Amino acid sequence: MSNGKLLIINGPGLSDLTDHNEVANDDLSLSVIEQKCIETSGEFGLEVDFRQNDDESELLRVLVDDNSNFDAFIINPAGLSKSSFIDYDAFSAAINKITNQGKSVIEVRIENIFIQGSSKPLRGNDSGVGLVSGLGKYGYVLAINSINKKLSNN
Amino acid sequence: MNIYVINGPNINLLGTREPEIYGKETLEGISKECQEKASKVGHSVKFMQSNYEGEIVEWIQDAIINKVDAIVINAAAYTHTSIAIHDALKSYSGYKVELHISNPHLRESFRHVSFISSAVDSVVAGLGPDGYIQVIDLLSELPIKVN
Repeated sequence: MSNGKLLIINGPGLSDLTDHNEVANDDLSLSVIEQKCIETSGEFGLEVDFRQNDDESELLRVLVDDNSNFDAFIINPAGLSKSSFIDYDAFSAAINKITNQGKSVIEVRIENIFIQGSSKPLRGNDSGVGLVSGLGKYGYVLAINSINKKLSNN
Repeated sequence: MNIYVINGPNINLLGTREPEIYGKETLEGISKECQEKASKVGHSVKFMQSNYEGEIVEWIQDAIINKVDAIVINAAAYTHTSIAIHDALKSYSGYKVELHISNPHLRESFRHVSFISSAVDSVVAGLGPDGYIQVIDLLSELPIKVN
């Protein structure tokens, strides 16, 4: 059942964004992103649970155990994308389980990961997982706008 | 803000081409929605589609000459093959977004490599036809240089 709740998960290393180049170099921190997400969601009457965790097992636990509590998911896997974890069956299975329920999962990356060339995007089944890379905090805004449109059309 | 929305090969078949992947909306419908969104937020959008690589390269060169503020490009299959489009985009100094209706990274392995991604500022994929509208909308919020 739809409850208008959105889970935003930020992976390892995202608590410190001092080395990230924001679009047009305006100041960026995780709390700035959180504030922007709360503001954008609030305009649509959506509720946001915004989290950051350096522990991959905790991120997996949230996706597996808490997925029924949310209508949509934004995931920034950050440092996990450079480890083998991102292709790990359990992680893909958790994402597939969510998208199979028709819920949105959008991967958001602050910088354009393809310029670095070493990061891997999330894997899941071939529907329902979006990707927004390189838009700084505005990537989260775009993802929330897209989720709102999808939820409003359902 | 002046924006070129450039679409590559087979995108003219939207609505009939593998609708389970690309949806039922036609390119004409997407173009209309982009124009509506653009006029709401004060952008001017030129919406184009070509099946020819060279024509797409020439449109990017036009954008350089005409000092267009942003390019949104869905190079479709040329994404995975075209160094010419990569090079043209590298020569363009305005804001560049690579767009895909589906998420190529979740599809066949030959779609996992993009020659476009490293030449653009940002990538938006897998949000369906709505991705175009969301990008047009967001461009007005981004702190980017406008000519």
